[in-house]
Amino acid sequence: MATTLLGLLATSPPDALLPSRIQMAFTLAYHIILVPLGVTFPLLVVLMEGIGLRRNDPVALRLARRWSVVMAVQFAVGAVTGTILSFEFGILWPRMMGRFGDVFGIGFGIEGWAFFLEAIFIGIYLYGWKRLPPKVHYRLGWVLPPAGVLGAFGVIIANSWMNTPGGFQLGPDGRPINVNVLGAIFTPALGYEFWHLIVALYMTAGFMVASVYAVGWLRGRRDRYHRLGFTVPFALGAVLAPIQVVIGDIATRGVFQDQPAKFAAMEVTWNTQTHNPEVVGGLLQSDGTVALGLSIPSLDSLLAGFSPSTLVRGLNSFNPADRPSVVDANFVHLAFDLMVGLGSIACVLTLWFALAWIRHRDLPRSRWFWRGAALAGIGSYLAIEAGWITTEVGRQPWIVHNLMRVSDAVNPVNPLYIWIMFSALLVVYAVIAFFFVTLLMRLSARWRIEDGGGRQEDAIAPEEAAPYGPRPA
Amino acid sequence: MTAVVDLGVAGALLLAIAAYSTAGGTDYGAGIWDLLAGRFGHAVEVRKLIDHAMAPVWEANNVWLVFSAVICWTGFPLLYESAFLSLYPLFALALLGLILRGAFFAFRKVATTSGTTLVASRVFGISSLLAPFSFAAALGAIASGKVGVGGPMVPVWQACLDPLAIAFGVVALMATAFSGASFLVGDARRYQARGEKSPDLVEYFRRRAVAAAIALLVVSLIALVVIAAESPTVFRGMVAGLGLPFAAAAVLAVFTVAVLMWRRVYRWYRVLTVVGVGSFVFAWGVGQAPYLLPGQLTIQQAAGAPEIEALLLGITVVALVLVIPSLFLLYTLDQRSALES
Repeated sequence: MATTLLGLLATSPPDALLPSRIQMAFTLAYHIILVPLGVTFPLLVVLMEGIGLRRNDPVALRLARRWSVVMAVQFAVGAVTGTILSFEFGILWPRMMGRFGDVFGIGFGIEGWAFFLEAIFIGIYLYGWKRLPPKVHYRLGWVLPPAGVLGAFGVIIANSWMNTPGGFQLGPDGRPINVNVLGAIFTPALGYEFWHLIVALYMTAGFMVASVYAVGWLRGRRDRYHRLGFTVPFALGAVLAPIQVVIGDIATRGVFQDQPAKFAAMEVTWNTQTHNPEVVGGLLQSDGTVALGLSIPSLDSLLAGFSPSTLVRGLNSFNPADRPSVVDANFVHLAFDLMVGLGSIACVLTLWFALAWIRHRDLPRSRWFWRGAALAGIGSYLAIEAGWITTEVGRQPWIVHNLMRVSDAVNPVNPLYIWIMFSALLVVYAVIAFFFVTLLMRLSARWRIEDGGGRQEDAIAPEEAAPYGPRPA
Repeated sequence: MTAVVDLGVAGALLLAIAAYSTAGGTDYGAGIWDLLAGRFGHAVEVRKLIDHAMAPVWEANNVWLVFSAVICWTGFPLLYESAFLSLYPLFALALLGLILRGAFFAFRKVATTSGTTLVASRVFGISSLLAPFSFAAALGAIASGKVGVGGPMVPVWQACLDPLAIAFGVVALMATAFSGASFLVGDARRYQARGEKSPDLVEYFRRRAVAAAIALLVVSLIALVVIAAESPTVFRGMVAGLGLPFAAAAVLAVFTVAVLMWRRVYRWYRVLTVVGVGSFVFAWGVGQAPYLLPGQLTIQQAAGAPEIEALLLGITVVALVLVIPSLFLLYTLDQRSALES
C-alpha cells in the first residue's frame, strides 16, 4: 500500500492535477453520502404517512413526522456540499467548463430546478404538519419523490455524457457544434447508469433507515414502533436487491461495449484474449500479471458475451497514455469487487428475510440476521462509494471520454493554492460532519425520552427541533 | 433569432444573480447584524429574532446561487472558464464563507453553553461578511475589464484586489446590511404583534435600516466614481445607456425606504428594498451589456451551442411556472405560522 501511494506521488506531474483530483474526489465522496437519503427518503416518509392515514395509526404518523425532520436536516447539508461542487467545477476544471460547459450543463439545468422544487416542498411538508389538513399535506408530499428522482436523472445525464459523450460534432476550435439535444441527453451510458443508480439509492435509503431500528431491536426495543420502522424500509431494500443484481449485470455489459478500457481495469485484464478469467480480488502488477486473487476460468468472457470464446480487450492494447494507470486499475478493480460482494450479501439478507416471512409470517429471529441488517445501511453506502470509484477512476485519464484529458481540464495554478483550499475544506467538512451527527443523536435521544413517557410537557413537534425547520410555537 | 435567445439566457442569468442578491443578501445581512449585536444589551433578543427570521427559507435562498452557476456555465461556458481562471481565489473564499455560515448557523441552535454559542455566532457573523463580499468582488473584477478571455491577463491577485472589486464588495456588504435590517424590521413587527415581551426591536432595526440605507447610497456613489475611472464603457452604460433607469430606480427605492423608516411608515418598505437591491444588480449588468467581459467578450461570443441556449431558456421558463407558485405557498405557510401562534 505504501509503495502504491509513493508510486502515485512519484508519477504525478508537477502541477495542480493531483491535489485537484484529491479535492474533487473528497468533496464528491462526501456529497455522495448525503445523496441517497436526499433523493429517496421522501418516498419512505410519504409511504409511512400514507400507512398512518389509511390505518389511522399514530405510530406510523409519528415515524413519518420524525423521519421528515431527518430528511430536511440532511437535505440542508447536502444543499451546501452540492453548491460547493458546482463552484469546484469552475475552480478546479475551468478548461473543461469552457470547452464543454454547454453540453455538460444540460443535465444540470434540469437538476437545478428539480432540486429547487424539492427544497421548497420539503419546507412546505415540514410546515404543513401543523398547518395543513392531513390529506392535503399527504398529497403535497407526493411532489417530493419524483422531484428527487428528476434531480438524480439530471446529474446522471451529465455523468453518462462524460463517460460516453455524444449528441454533437466537434467544431474547428474543438467546441461542440450541431448539437442534437436528445442525443446529448440519451447517450449510451445513460440507461444503465440511471437505473443502476436509482435502484442503488432506494436500496441504500431502505437499508440505512432499517438498520437504525435493527440496532434498536438488538438492544431489546421490540415494540410496534421499531417493528414498523424496520419492516417498511427493509422490505423496500429487499425487493430491490435482486433486481439490482440484474441491472448491475446489464450495466457491466454496457461498460464492456462502450468503455472497454474501464472494463479491462474492472477485471484487471492485461492481454486481449478469449476465455478471459474472472479475477476476484488481487492486484495488477506493472508487468501485467495479477498477484494474489482468485481466478475463475472463462467466467469473465462468459458474463460479457454469454460465451467463453468472447474476446475481451486487455489494458495492454491501449496506448499507455489513453488508459487507466496500473494504480488506477487496481483502485477500480477492488472497488468493483467490493460493490459486487456487498450486493451479494444484500441478496443473502433478502433471502433470509423472505424465507422467514414465508415460513412463519414474521421477522427473522436469529440475532445474526439482525446483526447483518444493522450493518446493511453502512454496507450500502460503501457499495455506492465503490461503484462511483469504479466509474470515475475507470474513466481516467479522461475527463470527457476520449475527447479531453483530466490534465488538460485542470486549472493551471500553483498546486500550493489547491492544497491550502483542500486543507481548509477538510477542516470545515469535518466540523459539518461532527455537527450533523451530534444533531441526529440529540434528536434521537429527545424522541426516546418522549416515548419513554418522561417530560411530556417539554415535548415539541419533531420538525421544530431541527435547525432549519419551522419556528417553535 | 439566436441573438434573441442568447439575450434571453443572459437575462435569466442576471435575474438569478439579482434573486440571490436580494433573497440570499437579506440572509447575509441578518448575519451581519448578528455579528454587530455584540454580547451585551439586547444581544440575546436580537439573535433570537434573527434565528426566527432566517430558519425557514435558508436553503431555498441558496438555490439561486446554484442556478447562477449552472446558467453561467451552460449558457456562457467561456465566461465561466474565464471568470474562474482569473478569480478563483475570490470564489474559493466565497465558498468557504458560505459553508462555514450554514454549518455554524445550525450549530448555534444545538450549542448548549453560552461560550460555544458565542463562538458559533462569531463564525456565523464573519462568514456572513466574507461570502457576499467575495461574490460581489468577483463581479466587480469582471466589470473592471481585468478578466481575460481563456486565461488571466493580469496577475490573479491583481484582478482580485482591483479597486473596482473592492468597491463592489463594499457596496454588497452595505446592500445586504440594508436589506437585512429592513426585513428584520418586518420580522420584529410580527413577533411584537404576538405580544412577546421583548425590547423594542422594531425601533432597533428601524434606526439601523436608515443608517444602512444612507451608507449604501454614499458607498455606491463612491463606487460609481471608481467605475468611471476604471471602466469608462460600463460607466457610460450605467449613466447614459440602458443601465440608467435601473441605477435611478435603485437610488430612488433605497432613499424612499430610508424616508419611510425615518417616519415610521411601515408600508411598501420590503417591496422597495427588493426593488432597490435588485436594481443595483441590473444597473451593473445592463450597463455592461452587450459585454459579459467589458471590451473583450460579448454575450453572443460567449454563448454556447444555439440548440442548448434555446433548451436552457425553455427549461427556465417551464421551471419558473412550477417554482413560483410553490415558493408563494411556502412563504404563505411561513407567515401563517407566525400569525397562528
